[in-house]
Amino acid sequence: MRTMEAENIIEMLHITKEFPGIIANDDITLQLRRGEIHALLGENGAGKSTLMSVLFGLYQPEKGIIKKNGQEVKINDPNDATALGIGMVHQHFKLIDVFTVLDNIILGAETTRGGFLQKKEARAKVESLSQRYGLKVDLDAKVEDITVGMQQRVEILKMLYRDNEILIFDEPTAVLTPQEIDELMDTMREFAREGKSILFISHKLNEIMAVADRVTVLRKGKYIGTVDTKDTDKQSLSNMMVGRPVQLEVTKTPAQPGEPVLEVKDFCVPAKGHKKNAVNNVSFQARAGEILCIAGIDGNGQTELVYGLTGLEKSSGGTVTLCGQDVSHASIRHRGDRMSHIPEDRHKHGLVLDFTLEQNLVLQRFRESRFQHMGFIDQKAVREYSEKLIEQYDVRSGQGPITRARSMSGGNQQKAIIAREVDREKPLIVAVQPTRGLDVGAIEYIHGQLVSERDKGKAVLLISLELDEVMSLSDRILVMYEGEIVGELDPKQTTVQELGLYMAGAKRMDMTGKEGEGA
Amino acid sequence: MKQRHTLLEKDGAQSVVASLVSIVIGLLVGSILILVVGAFSANLGMASAWEGIRLVFFGIFSTGRNAAGALTWGFNPQSIGNMLFRATPLILTGLSVAVAFKTGLFNIGAPGQYLMSTMVTLAIALGIPADAMPKILLWLLAFLGGMLAGALWGCIPGLVKAFLNINEVLACIMTNWIAANLVTWFFDANKVFQNTVENTKSGYVYMTAYGKTMVDGAWTYVKGNGVQTAKLGLDKLFPGSQINAGILVAVLMAIGVYILMTKTTLGYELKACGSNRHAARYAGVNDKRNIVLSMAIAGALSGAGAALYYLSGNTEFFWSTYQSLPATGFNGIPVALLAANNPIAVIFTGIFMSMLNIVGLQLTNLTAYNEYITDVIISVIVYLSAFSLVIKMIISSRRKQKAAVEAAPAAPAAAPLSGTEAPPEPDRPEETDAVEEKGGERV
Repeated sequence: MRTMEAENIIEMLHITKEFPGIIANDDITLQLRRGEIHALLGENGAGKSTLMSVLFGLYQPEKGIIKKNGQEVKINDPNDATALGIGMVHQHFKLIDVFTVLDNIILGAETTRGGFLQKKEARAKVESLSQRYGLKVDLDAKVEDITVGMQQRVEILKMLYRDNEILIFDEPTAVLTPQEIDELMDTMREFAREGKSILFISHKLNEIMAVADRVTVLRKGKYIGTVDTKDTDKQSLSNMMVGRPVQLEVTKTPAQPGEPVLEVKDFCVPAKGHKKNAVNNVSFQARAGEILCIAGIDGNGQTELVYGLTGLEKSSGGTVTLCGQDVSHASIRHRGDRMSHIPEDRHKHGLVLDFTLEQNLVLQRFRESRFQHMGFIDQKAVREYSEKLIEQYDVRSGQGPITRARSMSGGNQQKAIIAREVDREKPLIVAVQPTRGLDVGAIEYIHGQLVSERDKGKAVLLISLELDEVMSLSDRILVMYEGEIVGELDPKQTTVQELGLYMAGAKRMDMTGKEGEGA
Repeated sequence: MKQRHTLLEKDGAQSVVASLVSIVIGLLVGSILILVVGAFSANLGMASAWEGIRLVFFGIFSTGRNAAGALTWGFNPQSIGNMLFRATPLILTGLSVAVAFKTGLFNIGAPGQYLMSTMVTLAIALGIPADAMPKILLWLLAFLGGMLAGALWGCIPGLVKAFLNINEVLACIMTNWIAANLVTWFFDANKVFQNTVENTKSGYVYMTAYGKTMVDGAWTYVKGNGVQTAKLGLDKLFPGSQINAGILVAVLMAIGVYILMTKTTLGYELKACGSNRHAARYAGVNDKRNIVLSMAIAGALSGAGAALYYLSGNTEFFWSTYQSLPATGFNGIPVALLAANNPIAVIFTGIFMSMLNIVGLQLTNLTAYNEYITDVIISVIVYLSAFSLVIKMIISSRRKQKAAVEAAPAAPAAAPLSGTEAPPEPDRPEETDAVEEKGGERV
């Protein structure tokens, strides 16, 4: 692609960056034009974040050069990047929770006079920026008290406050609600109209098609190509990204529901710091051979419901019956004998990040006689088992079984958890947002696994916030709103719009009749 | 860049180098101090300073002065034997702190556990008549009693942490002082344990072996029942020293702790709780039980240290503890830090710390310097051992830079999945080169 020098505001030419055991970026070239929204697409571990970290000065590449306006520049640390007008919104925000929004925005770029902060000037500047772009924030609120969406706006204001003209957004939509995503897209378009250049890291094809002008695709650290969004479509982009034709839709046969595996009756779980129950009088059944989905907007009691079911949190009323046995007050370990749990937060619950992959793969099973003799762990058995799982479930890592879980990519961490939980062969699988933050290839894989477990006759309880996932994967949908189940829907007969009404609390069914049916 | 697994790329080796760097810098700072003190002191001078510096580095091999007044060097069995004797409780309190660290707990309560064990050990060893049972049985009873007392005392912060989520550091500090006053009261109230033979020694408890040789000697009153740790011929190897089989017990316990932490399901559970309490809970591990258990094990180890020290037979316990807590307990922290919490390394760092102790005595005996110089050295080393992570990072980043320069001209080879060579069990997470991890924290 021949372009005029001045047209490209940033050029990253032949960047190579290695880590032990892996070449994260292998001869990658990225050219960002002035005033465009340029998406960077790739699976987890494809090297997107590494490339952006190189641009932001967090990593030094082994090879390759970076040019700004045709001039070669050296970016040794984020301060250099800021001086060049490069700003970044990280996937995990870099904010100080106990500082106010204003303090966070000016931190590191404070206006001072005689050593004293000039907050008034700063406030005026931030306020005008906030108004101009419609980025509503409460400048005096503490960051810990505001929503994730607002935290992201704070991060964006941080970039604007520093007069950055090259804006990097690293997976910005992962934490947002659908409405917030739309607002963000509008803001990004507005920035581009004003001549700012945007790098948009994502693996969500819908968003890329909606907002980006051009897309650069990476795969396994290699440069695959750059295409205009108007000349391509979702299917061909995902094929480029994964390197093979991908199925974007879930294919499955109709469910053959059998006996109830999980029966929940009048179940209540207390909320943290509130008198009200987070889960209030919930009753349902999950049967063998079906995927039952609990849909709802985040924070409507789904997390607490799962905590209550798995034993992580004590319930305050009602019963849980698992395979005909009352486990309402059973220990986590006891429940785990009949239940696999793919947790919502893979870093908090799913993995011990400082442990090796093989240690993580036997997190529950190390007590089984196959892996220990008289309290001594059979290292050889653990190694063999983990190698089998790694191969069978295609978990990729730098050093195989002895890789630290912390150093693995998010997708492969999730795959490791899925491998561990599915291989435990329990009659009930509780999967909480199993595909959150994952790319198309991994999502396809995980969906396939869940469907095949269903077909083996297991009950799958899926908790998901993604409407697409809810509609395509589930056999039956329960909608949760403010801790209660407000509707039971058949995904084949309902629409996303109707589902949305239930989720927002605008519509509700009388569930008392349903209970009787279940009992 | 990763084809060659040189020694320095291994985490364990880096820990060793980091600790050695801390030690060398500590000794150098001590030397500078000696130099400065010598230069400005009327009765020391530069010649004394040079002697002092040599003693700081090689004091363990000092054999005194010859007729001409020059320092002499060689194998000094007394110093080395005493070094090993004094290392015994240090190794055990070091293990105590290390085990707790591995479980994510900071056991600053070792002094309290040590004191409670001292009380119970001495109460059993001196309180039960010597002819009631064989001495070896009495020794064992006192030793196990001490361990149990330490374990129970360690449980308190553990329970408070597990069930009330109160920081174990706070609970440890408070239980330390409770122990100090409890023990003081106990020995104050029970005159039977006090050494009133020498009237000046009002604050001391009898040595357990006291009176062993007092059949018809000058002593008129014999107390103590001859209970003491077996020497197993070690006193022949290091004549004139206090050494006994306690050091072997300490080494065995270190090996035991190593096996416990790396090879057993219990160690796996403890480490899982330490690294990520939530994930351990999720996996059905009883996190509360493990926190209490970890503190109990830590307490038992501290207790074993006290028991071995006071059961040696010829150590007296000065019970006016309200003045201060036993330094051996606190010194477990630097021993563990310097060993990067590796139980095997604790053996060596414990011995090293007690060597500095001996060096301090040599300084006092042979020069006009006093032993507190070695306290400064220990402080510097402790300070630096907290930086050992930084030193490790410097080592590994230097390696990487070098590797990057070497790798630059060569075409990047396909990254092999090397799952063959297991690195040594690192104690702290290495600075991960996570590909997907955002590196903001590195700045």
